[in-house]
This record gives sequence, C-alpha cells and structure tokens, in this order.
Amino acid sequence: MPEKSAATHTPKVVTITRQSRSNRIVHALVASSTFGLIVTGLGQMPFYSRYKIADIPGLTWLGSYEITLWLHYLFAFVLMGAVTYHILYHALRREFAILPKRGDFKHSLQVIGAMVRGQKEPPSEKYLPEQRLAYAFIAFAIGLTIVTGLIKVYTNVPGWNVSDGMHFWSAQLHNLGFFLVFMGIIAHLAAFLFKPNRKLLGGMRHGQVEAHYTLERHAHWKEGVQKARSALAGQTPPESAAPKPPEEETPKGDRPCEESAAR
Amino acid sequence: MDRRDFFKRVAVASAASAVLTVPAAQARDRASRKMGSIIDLTRCDGCVHLNTPACVTACRDKNAGRFPEPEERFLQDYWPQDFHEDWSSERDRTDRLTPYNWTFVERVEVPGGETVFVPRRCMHCDDAACQKLCPFGVIGKSEEGAVNIDTEFCMGGAKCRATCPWNIPQRQAGVGLYTKLLPKLAGGGSMYKCDGCADRLANDEKPACEIECPRDAITFGPIDEIKAEAKRRAEAIGGHLYGLDEAGGTSTIYISKVPFEVIDRAIALDKAHTQDDLPGRPHMRPEIQSSLQNAGGLFVASVLAPIAGAAAAGIAVYKSRQKERDDA
Repeated sequence: MPEKSAATHTPKVVTITRQSRSNRIVHALVASSTFGLIVTGLGQMPFYSRYKIADIPGLTWLGSYEITLWLHYLFAFVLMGAVTYHILYHALRREFAILPKRGDFKHSLQVIGAMVRGQKEPPSEKYLPEQRLAYAFIAFAIGLTIVTGLIKVYTNVPGWNVSDGMHFWSAQLHNLGFFLVFMGIIAHLAAFLFKPNRKLLGGMRHGQVEAHYTLERHAHWKEGVQKARSALAGQTPPESAAPKPPEEETPKGDRPCEESAAR
Repeated sequence: MDRRDFFKRVAVASAASAVLTVPAAQARDRASRKMGSIIDLTRCDGCVHLNTPACVTACRDKNAGRFPEPEERFLQDYWPQDFHEDWSSERDRTDRLTPYNWTFVERVEVPGGETVFVPRRCMHCDDAACQKLCPFGVIGKSEEGAVNIDTEFCMGGAKCRATCPWNIPQRQAGVGLYTKLLPKLAGGGSMYKCDGCADRLANDEKPACEIECPRDAITFGPIDEIKAEAKRRAEAIGGHLYGLDEAGGTSTIYISKVPFEVIDRAIALDKAHTQDDLPGRPHMRPEIQSSLQNAGGLFVASVLAPIAGAAAAGIAVYKSRQKERDDA
C-alpha cells in the first residue's frame, strides 16, 4: 500500500502484513498457470478453430492441438509444483486458517447479507467465512483437475493403457473440474464487486492491508489485531486505536485454530 | 438416446470404471487376446470384375444398420463457419472413407505402369491417439485391440480425425449428442470409422471384409502370429511392410512389393491432379509418427514437478523457522 506523502497533508495509511511473499508467489503461480491451463485446455477441444479465434493473426497456434497440449503440460507442471509447495508449506507450519470451519455457510450468509444491506458485518478471523468456503471449493476443483489430468498424462504415454471406463471418467471429470474451476474463478473475482472486499486486494498484490480495516472487519484475527494495534500505536495516540475485538461474541468452535506466525 | 438411456449408460460406465486401471493379470489376458490383420497388396486385385470390391460391400452390408440417419433440421452450418459435413446424400460413394463407407480400395497407378490396389480403413493403432486425446473419452478399445467410437456420446468435434496419423474417422452432421444440447452453437455431429468388427472378434469370428475377400488378401489373427506371418511373407518376396512401426505400431500390417513411399507419392499426385481435397483418402507415408510419441518424457516431468514443489516447501519452511528463531 503506497504511503501518502506527508507533503500532501493527508494522514499516513497504516498497514500490516496480511499475506507473506511466499503466499503471494504461490497465488500468482496458481493464478497464472490456471489461466494458461484454461486457455490451452480449451485448445484441446475444437474451440478456437471453430469460432475463428485461431484466424486472428498471432493466435493461429491456438488452433494446433499439439502446441496447446504441450503448453497445457507446461502450465500443469507449474500448477502441480505450486500446489505441492502450498500444501506442504502450510502443513509443516501448521497454518490452517484458510480451511473451512463449522458454521461457515451460515456465517457467510450473514457477512454477505450485511454487505448487501450496507450494515455492520459480524467480525471475522483472518479469512472471511466465505473466503474459506471459496478456498475449499477451488481447492477441490483444482484437485479434481490435477488427479484426472495426471491419469490423462499417464494414458498418453505410449504403451500405457487403462480401461475404457477410466478413459471416459477421467475425461468427463477433467472437463467437470475445468468447469468448476472456471466458476470458482468467476465467483472469486465477483467478490470484489462488493466494496468492502476490495480492501483485501492489497493483501495479494503487495501483502499489506490497512490496520483500521483489520480491526474493524477481522476483529477475531488475533495476530492481525495485535499487529494492527502495535502499528497504530506507533502512529496515533493509544486512545484512538480501534476498539477491542468483541471476543465474547465469538461463537464456540469459530475461534481461529492456527493463525500464521509473522508472515 | 433419451434421458433414461443416458442415465443407464452413465450407470453402466460408472460400474465399468469401478476397476480403475487394468490389473496385471487382466492386462496379460488382454494382450493375449489382441488381434492383428494383414492386408496383402500382392493379393488384392481391387475386385476389378465387380462394381464394388467385395470387402467394401461386406463392410457396408454388415454395418448398414449403424450408419447415421441425420435429421434434416440439424443439417446446418457449424456456426460461425459456413460449412457442415453431410454425406447423407452420397451414401453410395465407395471411392473414399465416409460415415457411410468405412473401408475403400484405393487404386494406385505407380510409375512403371503397375497398378496397386490398397484397401484402406482404420489401422487400429497400439497407442491410438484418437482414443487417448478424445476430449470426452468416448473412444474405446476392445480386448482384441479394435478401436471404437461411441457415436451416441460423440460430439463430432473431429479431433480424432485431426490427431489420427491418417485422418481416418469421418464426420456426419445432424446426428449424435450435440443435437440434444446446443446444435446451433457447439458440436458437429458424430464420427464414424471401421470398428474392426469388434463384435465378431470378441466371439472369435472373422471380420466381414476377411470373410468376403475372394483372394485371401485380408487375414486376421493373434497379433504375434500376424506380425510373424507378415514378416515371413515380405521376406519371401523381398517386399515391404507398413503399419508395423508407423504411429508407434498398429495392428494392421500391409505387405507390398512396391515401396510404400512410391505408393504414397502416387496417391498424393493423384489427389493433386484431381484437385481432391476432401477428407477420406489417407496418405501412406512411411514412418509417420503419432503426436503422442514423445509423451513419455513429459510424464517424467509431471512427476518431477511435485517433487520440485516439495523441495522448495522444505527449504522455505526451514528458512522461515530459522528467521523466527533469529527474531526471537
């Protein structure tokens, strides 16, 4: 978050780190490889030639099943490497804040309902309940495409064959996985149609979110609240710091399980 | 195919896929049942005394009930393209592969005044690119090695034809699953080709073309015996083989006294002279490769990608813990 110059006489925006560099790199790799996989995956169907996209100068290669297949493999390697890294990194560090929790569906409706009505949202942890559900949905969809894609990679090897049923279902479920990933991405991006969510964009762009925003919206994110208070304490008088998080309102079983250490 | 049939087929396919990969014992049995065929060009005379070669007639008669019956209202251009593939008004054509003609005999005039008759149909590849790359997984392979297209589930995108080293499958518009989905916007019909008389092979019976060939130019049998016999015959006449190594190996082996590059060139010249740019007259290029021939190396890379990711994660976690210790 670019800090405004004091010369403009506007107060400095105090920020805290929400996403580590590791998370941002993984997000960028997963997003870019998934985009590449969608583009080249559509190239495995008679899509670009049929709809004359391959006629556009510079896009002729999209009409080649061979070129798009090898590029599809290339993007798949990036995705699989990034996904493996992501799972192992957070498992080894015991960071599970992004995983869905009991009651997330109900709480998502409450948060979204409040956003739509312009009312005050119930306090959230590091991740909003709908973020945790969206993560699970996209993770499932990506996992489905990876597993079925690996089966297809296996069967493409000369001399290696599987049953007809396996051919059928790996293809059908791979296509379903693509559809789910695509829908997940649309929903993920649509979340930023809601103004309150746009403050989160900085988290994945440069890792920072506003301290005040953290205190207001993520009051159950213990580590974030601590960092926000410390950051604000260095900037503003203690009495102007954000209110104490309403921990007494936290439903049982909805407490942060493991928030990340310093990111 | 109505909705009930669709769900029935899905249920059957689900049950079939319960066994995910082919177990080793079953794979051995499958290998032992694998069939092959010889097409001996030194014997084939194209049935010049008949209007239509006997193998072609036999194939058409046997499969007549499986030929596409398109609905007129679906015979429309593949939007936004300004064409569609409709062979329904040319069902009698036997001079090429069409959805209504799954084998034909190419009459090839080679230099020196000799005429070679080449029966053409699906080669039933060992590693059929059409099957492996079908985006809907609707191409199957029987235990005998016959490659089949499920014409009811096929969307008619013709990828199988594009990826087939010989562009064998042919498309008919106005039939198949796409007519029940978005016929104006997506899909193109269904693909048709020789299925190797898979039903007959499964019952240890001879395919129709072999039965009706008056000169024993077509011979089916266990793949190992067929390969050995083809090599023996070729060696005896100082001839040439085609299909043994092409596209990584097929189960159809041609024997000819005339080199196949000569036959291939003659076919290409004839197509150029007659300005024949329609599909259905395959080339005969020796050593043609499958587009998947190099896929083995990529499989290795696909295993390495997660290993690289795991190694990077290990290093990153170690460094982050080290930093936490230093900060503490």
